Amino acid sequence: MIKKKSKKEKLYLSDRPPLSLPGKIGLGFSYLVLFSWVVAIVWPLYQMVVSAFNGRQEQRIMANTNFEFSTKHFEYLFTETLYLQWVKNTIFIAGATAILTLIVVSFTGYAYSRYRFAGRKASLMAIMLIQTIPTFAGITAYFTMHSIVSAVIPEFTRQMMLILIYTGGGIASNTFILKGYIDSVSTELDDAAKIDGCSNFDVYRLIIMPIARPMLTIIALWSFIGPFMDYLMARVLLTNPSSYTLAAGLFTLISDFRTLNQPAFAAGGLLTAIPIVALFIVLQRQLVSGLTSGSVKG
Amino acid sequence: MGKYGLFLEDNIGNKYERKNLYLRELALIDERIKIEKSSKEISKLKASRTEFIKNKSKNEYMLSLNELKDKEKKFLNELKKKKQEFSTTLDKEMESKVKRLTIQLYENRQKEDFYKGYINLDYRAEYNYLKAKEKSYQLPKIIEYIVNSQNEIKEALELQSKLEKEDFASKKAEVESFKKEQKDKLDKEITRIKARQKEGVISKKAEINSIAAAKRGYKNDVALKKYEIPTNANKEIVKSKKHELRMGIKRNLKILNGDIADIRRRIPVEVEKTKPIFSFLTFPIPGIGQALNKQYGKALIFLVASLFIYLVAIPYALGYGNYQGEGIAGLINLAEGGPRIYKSLIFMIEGVVAIFFVIIGAMLLIVSFKDVYSVERSTIRGIRHSNWFETKRALKQEGFPYMVSLPALLIIIFIVLVPVITTFLLSLTNMNPQNQSKFSWIGIQNYQLIATGQGLAGSVFWLIFIWTVLWTLLATSLAILIGFILALLVNNERIKGKKFFRTIYILPWAVPAFITIMFFSIMVAPGGSITVILEKLIGSRVEIKNTTLYTRSALILLQGWLGSAYVFLLTTGVLQAIPGDLYEAADIDGASSFDKTMKITIPLVLFQIAPLLVTQYTFNFNNFSVIFLFNQGGPFNPQRYGNLAGSSDLLISYIYKLAMVNQYQAIAAAITIFISLGLMFFAFLGFRNSKGFKEGRL
Repeated sequence: MIKKKSKKEKLYLSDRPPLSLPGKIGLGFSYLVLFSWVVAIVWPLYQMVVSAFNGRQEQRIMANTNFEFSTKHFEYLFTETLYLQWVKNTIFIAGATAILTLIVVSFTGYAYSRYRFAGRKASLMAIMLIQTIPTFAGITAYFTMHSIVSAVIPEFTRQMMLILIYTGGGIASNTFILKGYIDSVSTELDDAAKIDGCSNFDVYRLIIMPIARPMLTIIALWSFIGPFMDYLMARVLLTNPSSYTLAAGLFTLISDFRTLNQPAFAAGGLLTAIPIVALFIVLQRQLVSGLTSGSVKG
Repeated sequence: MGKYGLFLEDNIGNKYERKNLYLRELALIDERIKIEKSSKEISKLKASRTEFIKNKSKNEYMLSLNELKDKEKKFLNELKKKKQEFSTTLDKEMESKVKRLTIQLYENRQKEDFYKGYINLDYRAEYNYLKAKEKSYQLPKIIEYIVNSQNEIKEALELQSKLEKEDFASKKAEVESFKKEQKDKLDKEITRIKARQKEGVISKKAEINSIAAAKRGYKNDVALKKYEIPTNANKEIVKSKKHELRMGIKRNLKILNGDIADIRRRIPVEVEKTKPIFSFLTFPIPGIGQALNKQYGKALIFLVASLFIYLVAIPYALGYGNYQGEGIAGLINLAEGGPRIYKSLIFMIEGVVAIFFVIIGAMLLIVSFKDVYSVERSTIRGIRHSNWFETKRALKQEGFPYMVSLPALLIIIFIVLVPVITTFLLSLTNMNPQNQSKFSWIGIQNYQLIATGQGLAGSVFWLIFIWTVLWTLLATSLAILIGFILALLVNNERIKGKKFFRTIYILPWAVPAFITIMFFSIMVAPGGSITVILEKLIGSRVEIKNTTLYTRSALILLQGWLGSAYVFLLTTGVLQAIPGDLYEAADIDGASSFDKTMKITIPLVLFQIAPLLVTQYTFNFNNFSVIFLFNQGGPFNPQRYGNLAGSSDLLISYIYKLAMVNQYQAIAAAITIFISLGLMFFAFLGFRNSKGFKEGRL
């Protein structure tokens, strides 16, 4: 008897109550919404991939062009444009920014978290306010400042200025993030180390830095990604195509009619996006935690 | 003339009797003046006090103190000679460090003997006595330690040279064979571990760890075996002994210095001075006051500050050593009337830098003054000034946060503050295409132009401002709405393929925005995919980039597409952290799933991510990339927007076009200041409401 019944209608095993008809419709509707948003995201990206590999596309990407697989746009990108140079520039700027930020911020984060020195609270407030001043507030001055410094020190390039600007723009918020993180580390560790004869610097180097490494990685990562994403400052400061970053360089492929080549842009965009997307998907949890703790936690 | 206290005190408040009887007498008179009520008596006492001071040179105590001073002088002179004699009697082959310490020991023994007789007369003598005593007590031990260790090292070295002549062939062979044996063992162990992993007994990670452990063990065993060869062992002994000696000397001297510092804290100092005059007299030149306080190490540090003030800050502020400008004066004249290559902007920036130099200089002056003043004040109270050892220790402790924040401070001053202040000053000038290289102050005219919407650049300000606000509200709200709804839907426990959806949904965030924006811009251009599809749907041509309304709508949709991923991520994170028992409790109470969403999920999530959503609004307010890269602010409508801006320009892209393309830097600066102040105000509001600030816990 029982056997027969289970054959007829499947035994309901879930611990959730069975769905009613409106519930089923709702679920179906949910799937519909979710899948349509998947299409909304994937379709443009798919278009980009297709245009990058479509040998039939010329200069301007046209929608009604037949597909023919070819890597000629990539070849164009590598031979006719300064793409590799842009990649190098961006990695240089991003790397230097990340390292400089790490050095500066790891010290300030530690100092603000662990020491009660005169002027601490006032400077913390100042940092808070400085954090809100957008970096572009100084665009007019940056250019002239660079020309003053480079007249004295010719080795000081625009890219270095850019590195300093990116670093300066990130100090305030990153100090806050790191301070919050180190605050959560028990000070008993410091005390124990000090009893064992560690100096302040030893405590920083041997105790705090290893513990704060996850947060430092996130800070370094964000500082590294920043220059990849930024267009405005690169556009303002860098004037020579051979010193462009990726964002500034790729834009010339779609904005300037002399260098216009939209499929090559798609190819370059694809190449740039793949490593970053991989990074984001692998590290999404950590990256988000860095962002959320950036808000004022106190 | 100031008053004298009856007692001296140290920095923890212990009281000490005065030893200087002359000063003690004065202190007693002062005490009586304080108590005395009738003015007649007071004037009498005051007269006697003056009389007493006049007779200082005849005071008995002062006579004996002066005698001590004379004797001391003579003694020290003699000691110098004696020291030289003593050093010649020492063994010539003595190691220099030992020699130095031995001479020091001799010197301190002599001092101990000399000062012993005067410890009741004067605190300085007592201090010198105790210091010399401490040194003559500890130095022999240190010297002995050094000599012993050096002898041990010497012996070991001798042994080494002896051993080197011998050949330990058999031992070496033994070690080699041992090494081979161990190596075989290691290889076997590794194959065994690998086999176990293949069998599935241990995990891949355990395999890696066990192999590493086995290799480490092998290395240790071999190293240990090697020490069975006497030369190797002996070499190691020499090495470790040398290190030990180096560290030992350092440690012992540290202990000695620490003990002396303790003595300094215990023995007060007695001076006739009652007013901290050095600090006022040497105020302009940091370093001298410290030297007068006999803190020479500190004086050297502050001398560097003096050098900065007098060789860098002041000359720069006066216009010397500038690149073009005239220091602070350049701020006022802005290169007016100067040669053609002189640029007002350079004068302005150098003026701002000069101001910062002056501020830094002034702060150094204040710090130095405070330092000298407090040391003098405490000396008068009876606290002995700290010596270099103590200063160094304090610097390492309290100075640490300042020293490590210095690079950050410099970067913030020169990369953030100087440009921002320059921008503010620029907004008070008339820098425009006609006045590029030379411009002058015009006060708040730019702000007036903006506020009243007049002039070439100001006329469209309010139009752009309204669109910017509209854009911020619509684009951000759309992104939040999309991200929020998607996160809620995906989080439904009946939805399958959560991982798939979540991975896809963060793509707009992960792909660098400038790439997607530029590609969307291509797609909505004539002939682009979106244009073509719309054409098929509607049946007529849609020129998205040439119609203000369409461009704006497209921009808002695009930002909704871009921004939703971030909101989705944030919301998902919070959703997953909501404890399940809340929902169970709601189930028991008979809540429908709609109720649960409205009453539990949405309030909890919104409460947590609200501050982050506020930053999304400010981000979009300044979202230059999406506007500029999509359509360069167009479409352009000169009748309505003039030649400077397009109809989808935000304030920030308008600023960019004014300052960088059309060279209306002054008015651009005014707009920048306007929005920066606005943003700061909103940030401050948010900050003030934050938990950390309210609880005063920063």
